[in-house]
Amino acid sequence: MPAVLETTDLRKHYQMGDTTVRALDGVNLSVNEGEFVGLLGTSGSGKSTLLNLIAGLDRASGGSLRIFDQDLATMGSMELSMHRRRNVGIIFQSFNLVSSMTALENVTLAMMFAGVPRGERETRASSLLEAMGLGGRQHHRPRELSGGEQQRVAIARALSNQPRLLLADEPTGNLDSRTSREIMTVLKDLNEREGKTIIMVTHDPGLARQYAHRIVTMLDGVVVDPSEVPA
Amino acid sequence: MTFRDTLDLAVRNLKQSKLRTGLTTLGVSIGIATRAGMVSLGVGLQDQFVGRFTKSGMFDSINVLPGSVGQITFGPGRGGRGPARRPFGRNAAAAAAQAQSQSPSGEVKEITDETLKELAALPNVREAYPGLRLPVEVKFGGDSEFNTATGVPMSVKNEGAFQSIPHGRFFADENEAACLLSLDLAKRMNDANPAGLIGKELMLNYASSSGSGQAAPGMPAGVTRGESKCTIVGIIERETGPFAAAGGVSPLMIPLPKAREIFHASPQAAQMLARDPTRTSRPYPSAVVKVKSPQATQDVEEQIKKLGLSAFSLNDALEGAKRAFIILDIVLSLIGSIALAVSSLGIMNTMVMSILERTREIGIMKAIGGSDGDIRRIFLIEASAIGFLGGAAGIVLGWSVGRIINIGANVYIERQGGTAGNLFSLPWWLIAGAIGFSIAVSLMAGLYPAARAAKLDPIKALRHD
Repeated sequence: MPAVLETTDLRKHYQMGDTTVRALDGVNLSVNEGEFVGLLGTSGSGKSTLLNLIAGLDRASGGSLRIFDQDLATMGSMELSMHRRRNVGIIFQSFNLVSSMTALENVTLAMMFAGVPRGERETRASSLLEAMGLGGRQHHRPRELSGGEQQRVAIARALSNQPRLLLADEPTGNLDSRTSREIMTVLKDLNEREGKTIIMVTHDPGLARQYAHRIVTMLDGVVVDPSEVPA
Repeated sequence: MTFRDTLDLAVRNLKQSKLRTGLTTLGVSIGIATRAGMVSLGVGLQDQFVGRFTKSGMFDSINVLPGSVGQITFGPGRGGRGPARRPFGRNAAAAAAQAQSQSPSGEVKEITDETLKELAALPNVREAYPGLRLPVEVKFGGDSEFNTATGVPMSVKNEGAFQSIPHGRFFADENEAACLLSLDLAKRMNDANPAGLIGKELMLNYASSSGSGQAAPGMPAGVTRGESKCTIVGIIERETGPFAAAGGVSPLMIPLPKAREIFHASPQAAQMLARDPTRTSRPYPSAVVKVKSPQATQDVEEQIKKLGLSAFSLNDALEGAKRAFIILDIVLSLIGSIALAVSSLGIMNTMVMSILERTREIGIMKAIGGSDGDIRRIFLIEASAIGFLGGAAGIVLGWSVGRIINIGANVYIERQGGTAGNLFSLPWWLIAGAIGFSIAVSLMAGLYPAARAAKLDPIKALRHD
């Protein structure tokens, strides 16, 4: 299996007043194509920071971050936006749908930035929503949809530009347990049937153990052995 | 992301906050209306002013007076008007002596038939003819009055003041024993029905040195009374104003050859020839040079001055007036610009507010692949759309207010005895310019907010509520 993602001594430091916060302090991680990785850690462990770097939403302070053999550290803001629209699909805890747009429009918006022609955008968005079980709810706005439905729209949007890597930041954090299971089943299916590589950030060890192939535990900005984490 | 997509997004964003978009657009439209209204007023006033001049048809005419290089002389007592206006009964010898004292030989270039040929031969000149205004006694019925007769060439038919002849017609040919009257004179002759004068005969009396006339009582020896009949063929509306005289319009107009005949038969001519045997004819007090196009006027004027003559045209006066209008336009524009500056601040404020409100949305767009440029373009197009709407609304607003002011002003002007006209002019370039300008100003106002939106950190933006 080729590595989709490879980090070497990845660091992210930032100033907060007089102190330097070491959000990531030398992360070495490799993720192979088709893997479902659970990124586990307490709040402040650096797991979300790592996900943001992988997503190209933020820049590293040092080390290297290679995704599909491209070094994100050397990318300009234009290239980073290309990376976000082509290589990765991001799913957030709070869904992050545009509230004034319908489900269909939210999905087409991502393809609009990627330059997909209008007609194709609508067909693709429509069939993605259909596949998510939202066939009849395409013209509803986010506030008219339940949490689980909103997250399905977000997953459809993340899939719209056919990325090989899906990044999920606490995707079930705002959902009840039954809906959580549904969403996790969707992600598992995408991983198993379509071969999408998934990196999921979560603070719930049970959830990670249940669905992920591999669990990466983080503490104070570095990857640690799970046994080192105090209970 | 295509332009169409960006535009769609921008328009839907504007529709999302209709009230704010509407108010901002209204602000822009007031700014544009004020500015366009000010320019429109400037252009309208200029049109009124220049238009009245153009109606006098004298843009392509140059008045030529005797004179030396660089010397521009016109006015009573000298040059053109002086000799021609000399009162009938005045001592001709004294007049001739005065004329000579004014023209020391060699210094002043006179206007003779040869000079006219020289003038006509200049490039861009259509024709040159003497400007003759002759003192005559007009007899009609039992009444008579002294007046001025102007020699009018056939070429001015359909030009300037002769463009429309309210009653009657222009001369049929230059040898017709005919005359045209100004409406003023015609009313004096027959107040009730000036048009009824057409076809009637006038008698013109003038001083002559030729033997044909009868001796005039109270005149020096050798001066006789010349007589000439003419039929009134038309009445024209006299265009009043400071330059009407240059337009060849006077109370009474006769064909140029007849005027020439009277001029050369005058006692002054005889006196002059008797004194100076080298002369073949009496020099003309002035000449009119018609140029082929108004643009050539300046150039021809220079050439005439090089010949040693004085020249002036309405263009000279117009140049000064145009400069005054440029200053007026600048002042009016400045006033309008202040209103526009205020409305551009309004745009900026609206955009900044809108970005604050939509921070999270901007973060989402960036997270799903929107580039800085995409975000900037969306906001710039939103600003331009406000500018376009504001510009179009501003034109409508400005036009409406202009019409209302115009109606009010014209009521006032007419009450003062003036002629109503359009004080505001709205040419197509002003419409296009105002909308274009509005878009440009809005774009400028949108630059900073758009740049701010483009530079938003997506992670912080996503956390924003």
